[in-house]
Amino acid sequence: MSSHLLSIIVGAPALAALIVIFLPENGKLAIRVTSLIAATISLIGSIVALRGYDKVAGGQQMVESYPLIPSLGVHLSFALDGWGGPLLLLTGVIIFAGVLASWTLKTRDKEYFALLLILVAGVFGVFVTQDLLVFFLFYEIAVLPMYLLIGIWGASHAVPRAGPFARAWDFFKVGDKQYAAMKLTLMLLVGSAAILVAIFALYLKAGVNSFDLGLLQKAKYDTDLQIILFPLLWLGFGSLAGVFPFHTWSPDGHASAPTAVSMLHAGVLMKLGAFGVMRVGMVLLPEGARFWVPVVGAVAAINVLYGAYCAMSQTDLKYIIAYSSVSHMGVVMLGAATLTPEGWNGAVFQMVAHGIMTGMFFALVGLVYERAHTRAVPKMGGFATVMPGVAAFFTLACMSSLGLPGTAGFVSEFLVFLGAWKAGHYLWAIPGVLGAFVTAIYVLKATRAIFWGPGPSHDFHDLSEAKGTEWAAPIVLGVCLLLFGLWPRVLLDHIDPGSGMYLNKVVKAPAPAPAVHLTSGASPLSLTGGNAP
Amino acid sequence: MSRPITLALVATLTPALVALFLAATPFIRRRGAPAAALTVLGSVVSFGAAVMLLLSRLGQTGTELFTVPWIRSSARVIAEAGVHVDGVSASMLAVVCFVALCVQVFSLGYMHDEPPADFGRYFTYHALFLFSMNVLVIAPNLLQLFVGWELVGVTSYLLIGFYYKKPSAAHAAVKAFWVTKFADMGILFALLSLFVATGTFAWNVKLEPAVATAVTMLLFLGVVGKSAQFPLHVWLPDAMEGPTPVSALLHAATMVAAGVFLVVRADPLFVQSPTTRTVMLVLGAVTALFAALLALVQTDIKKVLAYSTCSQLGYMVAALGAGSVLAGFFHLTTHAFFKALLFLAAGSAIHAVHSNEIGKMGGLFKKMPLTGAAFAIGALALAGVPGLSGFFSKDLVLEGVEHKLHHVPYVILLATAFLTAFYMGKVVFVAFFGPPSSEQAKHAHEPGWSMKLPLVALAVLAVVAGYFAAPFARLYGEPYHFHFGVGAAVAAALGLGGIALAWTMFGGGKRENPQVMVTVERIAQSRAVNRLYEFGYRRVTLAMADAFAWFDRYVIDGMINWLGYFTIDAGRRARPMQTGFAPDYVLAVVVGAVSLAAWAVLR
Repeated sequence: MSSHLLSIIVGAPALAALIVIFLPENGKLAIRVTSLIAATISLIGSIVALRGYDKVAGGQQMVESYPLIPSLGVHLSFALDGWGGPLLLLTGVIIFAGVLASWTLKTRDKEYFALLLILVAGVFGVFVTQDLLVFFLFYEIAVLPMYLLIGIWGASHAVPRAGPFARAWDFFKVGDKQYAAMKLTLMLLVGSAAILVAIFALYLKAGVNSFDLGLLQKAKYDTDLQIILFPLLWLGFGSLAGVFPFHTWSPDGHASAPTAVSMLHAGVLMKLGAFGVMRVGMVLLPEGARFWVPVVGAVAAINVLYGAYCAMSQTDLKYIIAYSSVSHMGVVMLGAATLTPEGWNGAVFQMVAHGIMTGMFFALVGLVYERAHTRAVPKMGGFATVMPGVAAFFTLACMSSLGLPGTAGFVSEFLVFLGAWKAGHYLWAIPGVLGAFVTAIYVLKATRAIFWGPGPSHDFHDLSEAKGTEWAAPIVLGVCLLLFGLWPRVLLDHIDPGSGMYLNKVVKAPAPAPAVHLTSGASPLSLTGGNAP
Repeated sequence: MSRPITLALVATLTPALVALFLAATPFIRRRGAPAAALTVLGSVVSFGAAVMLLLSRLGQTGTELFTVPWIRSSARVIAEAGVHVDGVSASMLAVVCFVALCVQVFSLGYMHDEPPADFGRYFTYHALFLFSMNVLVIAPNLLQLFVGWELVGVTSYLLIGFYYKKPSAAHAAVKAFWVTKFADMGILFALLSLFVATGTFAWNVKLEPAVATAVTMLLFLGVVGKSAQFPLHVWLPDAMEGPTPVSALLHAATMVAAGVFLVVRADPLFVQSPTTRTVMLVLGAVTALFAALLALVQTDIKKVLAYSTCSQLGYMVAALGAGSVLAGFFHLTTHAFFKALLFLAAGSAIHAVHSNEIGKMGGLFKKMPLTGAAFAIGALALAGVPGLSGFFSKDLVLEGVEHKLHHVPYVILLATAFLTAFYMGKVVFVAFFGPPSSEQAKHAHEPGWSMKLPLVALAVLAVVAGYFAAPFARLYGEPYHFHFGVGAAVAAALGLGGIALAWTMFGGGKRENPQVMVTVERIAQSRAVNRLYEFGYRRVTLAMADAFAWFDRYVIDGMINWLGYFTIDAGRRARPMQTGFAPDYVLAVVVGAVSLAAWAVLR
């Protein structure tokens, strides 16, 4: 059983998607129940995988491998590393909450749920696959359904024609849902093309006739080649992670997408980009990574502050959250660029923390939008009188967003800043910390504008508290935020061996000196100050 | 786990369980009364545990430590959570739990008219606050202290914004959070620097002089925000938008004193930087005087007390800056009692008169003798009248700063003592004596037992706390001998003089407004510091945000759009080449063949 656990986690949504396609169009409940069962299986599987992973032994566990294209050395092979467990759990939690958040969908349910499940199967696959080509296939499976999900079920709005490049408005309606879907898909596909080029180069230059990540890691690539290939992977995957200036698909895409799709996309899919940069780009190309990290880190620092400032100026609720994702994904990339254990642990923890937090934001925003029929924040006000529960959960998400201790957001941001500070990258850490402060400004400004103030005006007669399945997403995600914030070791004890394993490959370990340093501090009591210099 | 550790954990975790339970059971919370009962019960347990802990600590100076690994990275523990029990945390825990209990009991009566759902929400916040504050107090390292520090910040935000429908309350809550959060960046950077320098978040480590100054200055930035020191004091007067008992607990007795507590805790670090201490001494003295001046001209009774809190926190910070940690901490403790008393008595008066304006009160002493007596005791203690608690602690502070910086801070603090007595005298004479100034004041009456009981309890402590200075000092491991010297005599004389002056100007219904007061009022009304921040927020931060957002939408995204436009446009321009007429294609084939042939021949 446990040896097929990863196949079950990846396979359950894929199989359910197939079943949903053959269900009758009017079997609304059957479609939903099938999707929910698949999501539940994957969620429970993720928890079992997390608990079953031996943290002390570390490394790759629960390995499965099936030949796919033997002549090219392509295998469908799954394995769990330290990072896998927390990221599977994140995906499981988000899809579970996402299916429940889509419960009240009204149009073309069958296609919607099938696409959602296919997408999430791809995400699960990326996190556990050990074959580079299959990694890419899963990556594409996860990214492409977004085009249809936004193009069909999305929402449009108008962006006024202005600026030096206003001529574009002659050809497409900026802000329209088809525009958003097309922009997202094209930008990510350009990134994919870059990734594909790099993957083929890696495969051919390794000369081992295999796409196995473990084998490719051992291959020796020329320094020059690494320096050329790394930017392809950084920007290719990075465009999905919202790396400045290739982030502009994200605000329009997230704003246009329906609730559960925004949850999945900002909550999980953007993580695939950062995961790809770290797992493929940095681990396979250590010298390239070391050459480019000054740029990666600087751009990430820009991301954090730039995203936060852009978010502050937005008046559309979904745009605020979308830009906050651009800012928070910057924290992930910042942590990755530090090449320190703290930074990497923080980066992976931030993937989970931000995934849950932003998933919660989009779920709540969806609830508000459905009832208020507008996303214009300036028109709102006093909603807390009618929907106190939603207001409370929104405040919780805000607190995690601004990195409040006791929520998951603090642990990750603190570790990332610690890594940057330790590595002497003060010019990355300072914008990072400032970004957290700017976040405090815009999230509380939004909370005040939406929920506080005198009761809602008469325009909002449909306003009511969430009910039934709508509570599922906020409660599940809220509990996760607090649990991971108060007791971060649930995840961190897994992430840490994973980071250690991969980071060893990226950072040249000069003889045994660091190993002694890493173990000598195993029992420092902070009070004794024993290991002070 | 030893007994002191268990007691500290009980005191901390009981309110956490209460808060968690109430948060998870909206149907119980929204019924109000059960939530209140549960919260008060939890606080009774906490208080009981804290008192037992304090009693067990008497006569001891050692520390008890219990920690569990909280954050692990690179296969080692980098941060721990736990309990650190010593004289400082034991006494602070008892003070916090006591004042919290008094305030909660008071709130039972004060908030009684709120709708049940809001009543329950109020007490849930209170349970959360007590937990957060205790996490801060028992912290074994600076990281956990910071965790508690931020959590009390959130509860402060929630409680200031309790009347969230009122725009002014919503504004004040957000402002308080922003200002303190801004200052907290200092603590975050201090923690990062401390960890990089020593590998721990401990407060008793040896640092290089430059690092010590950097770390302590950054920590002090956080203190300036939380303890409302100039120029980050602006949030505290606005925070009075919260319910009055909240002001008593958070914004007078405990939370704002967390900054002082931090410095007491991290004293081994601050000792290493004379520079930081000098800055603290100066800023503390400046804040004390500045806030006292502003308190002179306030007409809102809570605003007077708020500025007075700023001013008294300035005393504490100055004492710590002078290196007199015991004085700062002792003043924190006595101040917690008499300022909580003042706020609650003010709350009782506000409850009766339905107004915060002292001009609408008057003659309350006759209608509400217990409230009046309580307020008067608090005011006398604050004014430093000999025999009451404030006198002893203020004397200790003055003794500590006396010889520093050529007596300048000493003189400033003495002048502040005079002003303090004067403005408190003014409030007492205007609000509680003379003729009633409004209809409501004529019909004011004493509140119920739940509001009277805390007043009595706090009043007793505000009177007697000063006599416990010696055992208090022993908890901290320092000697203490009170001697009524020249300094104490001068301070006492200034205090009595301030009251006397207030009587001549405001006693018996008189309302004098000398030129000095008019000038101060003009300064207060200019709101110069506030306007500076508003400028920074509106004209700088928001303007920058708009510029960034425009740039993103119309330049970065514009270029992407232009690329799309260019591609489509290029396609459209290329399209006419495909005319669909066969002769055109034949011509193209011929031209192509001929040029190829020509190229082959001429090559």
